[in-house]
Amino acid sequence: MGNASTRRAGTLRRRPRAGWLRAGNVLPAVAALTALFLVLAALVPGWLAPADPLAIDPVAAFRGPSGAHWLGTDESGRDIYSRIVHGARPSLLIGAAATALGLGLALLLGLAAGLGGRWLDAGVGRIVEVLLALPGLLLALVFIALAGPGVATTIVAVGLSTAPGYARIIRTQVRALRTSPMIEAARVLGHSPARILARHLLPNALGPVLVLATLGIGQAVVWASALSFLGLGEAPPAPEWGAMLAAGRTYLGFAWWMTFFPGLAIVATAASSTVLGRSLQRRAVGA
Amino acid sequence: MPAIPRSARPATTVAGLLAAALLLAGCAGSGGNGEPSAAGDPASGGTLVYASGDAEPTCLDPHVGGNYPQALLAGQYLETLYTKDDDGRIIPWLASGAEASADGKTWTLKLRDGITFTDGTAFDAATVKANIEHLQDPDTASSTGYLAVAKIKTMDVVDDTTLKLNLSAPDSALLESFSMPWVAMESAKALARSQAENCASPVGTGPFTVKKWTKQDSVELVRNEDYTPPVKGAGHDGPAYLEGITWKFIPEAATRYAALQSGTVDIIDNAQPDTIKSAEGSDNIGHLDAPRPGASNRIELNSSKAPFDDEKVREAFVRAVNVDDGISSLFFDTAKRSYSALSSVEPMGYSDPSLFGRDLQEANRLLDAAGWDQRDAAGYRTKDGKRLTLSFPVSTNQSVPAEQSLFQQLQATAKEAGFEVKLHLLDLSSWYGVLGENDYDLVSAPYTKVGPDVLRTLFHTSNTVPAPSGYFSNHAQVKDKKLDALLESANATTDQQERKDKYTQAQQIVLGGYYILPLYDQQNHFLYGPKVQGVGATTAVASPTFHDTWLQD
Repeated sequence: MGNASTRRAGTLRRRPRAGWLRAGNVLPAVAALTALFLVLAALVPGWLAPADPLAIDPVAAFRGPSGAHWLGTDESGRDIYSRIVHGARPSLLIGAAATALGLGLALLLGLAAGLGGRWLDAGVGRIVEVLLALPGLLLALVFIALAGPGVATTIVAVGLSTAPGYARIIRTQVRALRTSPMIEAARVLGHSPARILARHLLPNALGPVLVLATLGIGQAVVWASALSFLGLGEAPPAPEWGAMLAAGRTYLGFAWWMTFFPGLAIVATAASSTVLGRSLQRRAVGA
Repeated sequence: MPAIPRSARPATTVAGLLAAALLLAGCAGSGGNGEPSAAGDPASGGTLVYASGDAEPTCLDPHVGGNYPQALLAGQYLETLYTKDDDGRIIPWLASGAEASADGKTWTLKLRDGITFTDGTAFDAATVKANIEHLQDPDTASSTGYLAVAKIKTMDVVDDTTLKLNLSAPDSALLESFSMPWVAMESAKALARSQAENCASPVGTGPFTVKKWTKQDSVELVRNEDYTPPVKGAGHDGPAYLEGITWKFIPEAATRYAALQSGTVDIIDNAQPDTIKSAEGSDNIGHLDAPRPGASNRIELNSSKAPFDDEKVREAFVRAVNVDDGISSLFFDTAKRSYSALSSVEPMGYSDPSLFGRDLQEANRLLDAAGWDQRDAAGYRTKDGKRLTLSFPVSTNQSVPAEQSLFQQLQATAKEAGFEVKLHLLDLSSWYGVLGENDYDLVSAPYTKVGPDVLRTLFHTSNTVPAPSGYFSNHAQVKDKKLDALLESANATTDQQERKDKYTQAQQIVLGGYYILPLYDQQNHFLYGPKVQGVGATTAVASPTFHDTWLQD
């Protein structure tokens, strides 16, 4: 979770900095390459995997990884590599859009609490606490149960459940900044509240949150996969990582590739977004 | 040796057990089919752990609603008036016989004497009357049992063991209906309680009784110490060997199989095709293959609205999809393609493979002729600017993963002809909701019933009207007067040849009208561990019963 990584940022910063080619740099580089691949897969899947992810071939079902099918085929003979590449778009879209939605909502709540009076702060604070008390995934499940499954609902569901955490951080940042010398100086100089908000408060409050959001995308992808694993994502036969994982588990005993590779895609996405987020965080704090 | 050879073999019922018992008396030692022979005689004691992949019933009284998961459980603690023998004949069980009047509208039902329910009340004619009244009471919300006894108008208790049934019309399927667990006999005293109470602890005459039901977890059944089979030779005399049965619900197929392999559970249902295949090569796991009677597993095409109100479009769909390749790869040759509306265990089933051959060219020709002659950018056919879209709600509780994968394959092959099939994976109650709103074009719903009269249930116009529970069974929404007349007359005649002729004609109409796409028999596979002996007896609907089952140390 974002909060935990903020707390640990201090220890990370104290790590000795040295030459470019260190373990500390290799990991972010690998993560950046993975992220690049995923983004490419999401934007132009056809370049990376020309095969149709929906084309079935029952006669070639349950084939292990081979030259013809790099990552094997599933129960309907569909190419798993192609399905994973084509599955990047919904996964990343849900991850990014849900995080953006969560951030947007959090911004409203956080600013209201941070800038408003004591009552507004208390009111928003309680709402956020109530939302935090419910596990995020549960919140998302309840929302999907009410609104029905689909990509849009998944985005809203995951976005809604990540908002309270961000809102808290934004509120704290705004609270701290509000009484900072910088803002006081701006106020003394006679800048309008709107200008103070846009030029000073927002950029300073958002910085750390944007870094957190990079971590959040990974989290959101994992949640979206969890929902799709439970059959609450896009309708079949859409190539969704979570749904592929769910389909494969029936055949885990003899067709490991059906679960292993979609699982690897989810792990790689979450891990690369986490590593990138951490490294951004380190830079931001170090600067 | 075990009472029943532990091998892949069809369901054995009463007569089979009788034969096995005689065999047991005559020979001792040799194991059947090269499988390990069990040492020693059946041992009494122990608890069988059963893991079901079906949805947990909301009521343990199969009169209420009436689905297969209820039948699986109820077969342990409730018994029926009639049952089915090994050759598919209907034979008396709690009843001792029945006779129809010349016009077929009055039946005299004779009952066995001296049978008691586990709450101490006697089984008599008044009890049977109370049971049928319970099924017909709209408050019971019965769907399966309700339809089965729908023709019984009034009943007269003649004496303790004689009941006269007055029918609104002759019913050749009456005794078949009496053999189903959904029409099983319960204690009248227990039925008089509130529905909630009776749902939690129904009282019957069976070899086990319901001790405790922990919802979302398990049902505890314990041995009925006073039990003995009402028919001599149907299994051993006296109470069950098992002390009890723990009936668990493990919906996840791989988890269920893993539990069986690890010995946490003794027997599982809804076994996955790949696990059946690997169990066949194993010495430790036994397999019971018991295809359900009644309908075959089929996809129904909703003929009540566009686009399937046009027979050409229905045929085009059936001709477009590739069923065979999917069945052989997904089911690992454990399921055989069906070309019939009825299960292969139904003697009056009619099959016509020529209607279901895949022919993409013909499908395209039919769609052009039906006016779906344009294609949009995505390759789907259109007519008057509307896309040829088919909504296919799938109940995840009533279909195994392999079947859901098969539906995805049908979706992909239907696309080649220009059909857009939309699959919606739904839980059972949402699925019922969609059916109730007529918001579907394709649907696959299992229907188990003893005898060919299931055709009337599935295809008669009157069954497009919902039962008190809200369920209707004619999902294809066939409304054909000629078919109705055939189904009614087949149901009225007691002449078996005439009955068969009528049902054959009826099935020709259903298949030829492309109202259904038959897939395979309703798969009913059970796998059991090395300790479990004496599995094989089933109820008339092919659900296993465990009176003769025992655990070997």
